[in-house]
Amino acid sequence: MFKNYLKIAWRNLLKNKGYSAINIGGLALGMAVTLIIGLWVNDELSYNDYFSKKDRISQVFQSQTFNGNTSTGPAIPRPLEMGLRNGYMDNFKHLVMSSWNNPLYLNYKEKSLSKTGNFMQEEAPELLDLKILKGEKNGLRKINSIMLSESVANALFGDEDPIGKVVKANSQYDMEVTAIYEDIPMNNSFHDLEFIMPWEKYLTVFEWIKNAEDQWGNNSFQMFVELADNTTTDQVTASIKDVKKNLNKETAEFNPQLFLFPMKDWYLRDSFENGKQVGGRIKYVWLFGIIGAFVLLLACINFMNLSTARSEKRAKEVGIRKSIGSHRNQLIYQFLSESFLVVLFAFGIALFIVLLSLDGFNDLARKEITFPWSNSFFWLISFLFVLFTSLLAGSYPALYLSSFKPVDVLKGTMTTGKYAGLPRKILVVLQFTVSVAFIIGTVIVMQQINYAKNRPVGYDKEGLIQIPTMSQDFQGKYDLMRREFLESGAAIEMSASSSPTTQIWSNRSGFNWEGKPDGFQEDLAWTEVTPEYAKSLNLKILDGRDFSREFATDSSAILINESAVKHMGLTDPVGKYLRDDDTEDPNPPLKIIGVVQDMIASSPYEPVKQGIYAYDKEGNVSFYNLRLNPDNSASENITTIEGVFQSHFPDIPFQYDFVDAEYGEKFAAEERIGTLSAIFTALAILISCLGLFGLTSFVAEQRQKEIGVRKVLGASVFNVWNMLSKDFLKLVAISCFIAVPISYYVMNGWLQDYPYRVILEWWIFVLAVIGALAITILTVSFQAIKAANSNPIKSLRME
Amino acid sequence: MLLQLNNIFKWVQQGGQRVFLLKDINLQVEEGEFISIMGPSGSGKSTLLNVIGMLDDFDEGEYSFLDDPIHQLKEKHRAKLYKEYIGFVFQSYHLIDELTVYENLEMPLLYKKHSGAERKAMVADMLDRFNIVGKKDLFPAQLSGGQQQIVGVARALITKPKLILADEPTGNLNSTQGEEIMQLFKQLNDEGVTIIQVTHSEKNAAYGKRIINLLDGRMV
Repeated sequence: MFKNYLKIAWRNLLKNKGYSAINIGGLALGMAVTLIIGLWVNDELSYNDYFSKKDRISQVFQSQTFNGNTSTGPAIPRPLEMGLRNGYMDNFKHLVMSSWNNPLYLNYKEKSLSKTGNFMQEEAPELLDLKILKGEKNGLRKINSIMLSESVANALFGDEDPIGKVVKANSQYDMEVTAIYEDIPMNNSFHDLEFIMPWEKYLTVFEWIKNAEDQWGNNSFQMFVELADNTTTDQVTASIKDVKKNLNKETAEFNPQLFLFPMKDWYLRDSFENGKQVGGRIKYVWLFGIIGAFVLLLACINFMNLSTARSEKRAKEVGIRKSIGSHRNQLIYQFLSESFLVVLFAFGIALFIVLLSLDGFNDLARKEITFPWSNSFFWLISFLFVLFTSLLAGSYPALYLSSFKPVDVLKGTMTTGKYAGLPRKILVVLQFTVSVAFIIGTVIVMQQINYAKNRPVGYDKEGLIQIPTMSQDFQGKYDLMRREFLESGAAIEMSASSSPTTQIWSNRSGFNWEGKPDGFQEDLAWTEVTPEYAKSLNLKILDGRDFSREFATDSSAILINESAVKHMGLTDPVGKYLRDDDTEDPNPPLKIIGVVQDMIASSPYEPVKQGIYAYDKEGNVSFYNLRLNPDNSASENITTIEGVFQSHFPDIPFQYDFVDAEYGEKFAAEERIGTLSAIFTALAILISCLGLFGLTSFVAEQRQKEIGVRKVLGASVFNVWNMLSKDFLKLVAISCFIAVPISYYVMNGWLQDYPYRVILEWWIFVLAVIGALAITILTVSFQAIKAANSNPIKSLRME
Repeated sequence: MLLQLNNIFKWVQQGGQRVFLLKDINLQVEEGEFISIMGPSGSGKSTLLNVIGMLDDFDEGEYSFLDDPIHQLKEKHRAKLYKEYIGFVFQSYHLIDELTVYENLEMPLLYKKHSGAERKAMVADMLDRFNIVGKKDLFPAQLSGGQQQIVGVARALITKPKLILADEPTGNLNSTQGEEIMQLFKQLNDEGVTIIQVTHSEKNAAYGKRIINLLDGRMV
């Protein structure tokens, strides 16, 4: 029986090659989009799956409130460790203090690599359940030990056995390799954990880290925990939330609330607003999930419309089968198996499309998705997907076709009444509503990106590079290096700063100044810079003066930005003093000598944060900022700079970043979404147009006789074209009416996430509507004009 | 008795008035009969045939088929009955264009759940009996009208029905082909198959043992 159905289906497919191509092609495209999105969503959802204890690992987070604004983050103070170890350890199986992910230079013999890793406490390998390939799992016991990832070990040692060898870190510390662990794959939070060194070592590296031991206000560290067996995240959060508040009175005014942030949320739900978890990347998972579902729906609608439109051709068969003794159920089964065949076919092509486009997609989406050939679960899901799609696409046609009455059909009196086409029309409207909404959405995303991109950054980011200098090697070398770089002719100005120009690494509060309102809790970005900072960035001084090496007193001078003037409520800022709250502070008060223009250091979608640029006294800078000589090409400049750099730091790999490229990274997420949604929109429109194309050719065929008669009676080509196109244009116009308010509502909501955002203008919507109508006219016209130009004698003689 | 119609009425509403398609039809058919239904266009011949074949409903009256009261049965049971006992032959043959002769003959068997081997034997039997073995792999469009109708009859017979309903089976055929089909019917009737045919032609009607005349939905 099934064979018989398949045979009929197959022969029908061959007989109507045009329809089959549109049906299968459209479905294949739709399924390919859904498959790719499915793989992407799966990849997103399986983030951190590498860690066997994913469900039991948490990071300790902290919310603090300044002036009524609650900010939440992973940074915690060092004394919290003892606070929790004394009395709360029954909540945890493991507790691990950790540094941030820092770059370090690793040397072995003549090899020198810059790698990133953490300083962590002894139980880290156990907590993360690292797969140890060589050496011992408990590799952090001795203070001078280091654990390396497999690829780092290979890069450093090649064929040699690394265990027991000594690696020089930052050309200062001799570290003995105790273990090699498997590389942590890309879609995991610790994928850049290329080495681990003992926490105890970290405490000896910098003075400030040692000093932080009892500083409750110094939130500069991380803490990871594994829950004890008998407890849950919520229970532990409830028991530890006030630990810091209770142990330290000074910071209690900020109401520090501790909580456990579980690993399964790290990647997808890491946004906090006023201390509450408000989602994160998960919204993109939803967004693309919905897009995938809609694209599939569009393709299924094509199938439904084309199958039911052609119903009259199949009606005879239905009549015969019924009179021969087929039940309606059997016919439904037959039509469903037919759609299964078509969908299966389309799925095959879709797989092929996915294979061809996966690399390109990975580049766009910055993923490393591989095709899961050997994953039986994937094939099971695929089978269900095919089944689901064939039901979605095939059930309406099956129900419709199998409902014909044999008498009507066989007598030839079956009429597809006035409303027979109504469901078809509704489906077309649905299709174009989705397409138009996609168009509008994509245009607005693109606009928002461009809007933020064109926002003035406040400094000149072109021709500016930064070189990371976060190592003891650079201490005290700034003046020398500046002289050397400038003399080489590759740079015309240079400065150093404690954080990169495109980020804020440090925030401070606890100042006093003349006229400070009572109880005001200031929150200021803090960057330590060398005196040439403003000059090297072309940052404008709006009031007062820049730092100068001429004045010895400038070592306690600061520049503040425009936003800081507003934030602190200063009317005449130059000459005012900022004093540290702490009375024992040995440092002299900070004198405001100038106001600089606001520059975007964090998100380009947000207002510029109020900030202080302080004179760098200690020489602890983290970055050199070099203004390249515009008379040379960038590559010449870089070669020269590298030469100078290597002559002074032969053991350190030369690394640099163009500041404008770093700044561009801030748009990466939005740009990816913009590009992907543009592609998906194009595909959605293509699929909808395929369906429209099929429907027009069907209508033209159905009305062939009518067209013939009209032409004989004197209708022009234009009349006929108009007659055929009008109906479809009406439908698309209705779609626009529905799509415009929906997309306005949705996109307006999306834009609310961005304080600095584009204003929704009416012409975007008008443009999208005109575009949709133009595409419709183009699609429909091809068939309409063909029909209008056909010879009426031919169509009439057929009768 | 094969079937019995008592006071069958069928009507449609047109402009608030009932237009009768069948009016008070009373008919008894015994097994082995060969009945011809005659009458002018629009007299209700095909409607009557469709009602007998259970393809069409009626509005009033009683219809029993092999002692089953059809007017009380659900669609599903009716389908089961006619599947089992009735074969249809149509004026325009109504073969499925996408299937070969062989597959067209096989189709009714598929709905009756015969095993593959059984089906093969039965189809081969029919092909043999109607001398169309050489045509078994051709599609309907490749056959003449007469040949298509022979396939149509063979398809109606393959499930061994008690009753053949034929709606102007020769209407689309030339006289030689028509003659051939009528001879075939006569031969089948001699073998015991009950036949009811609708026809315009006196000559074809004469093959029947009984003639029913209809006029405006009424038996005359």
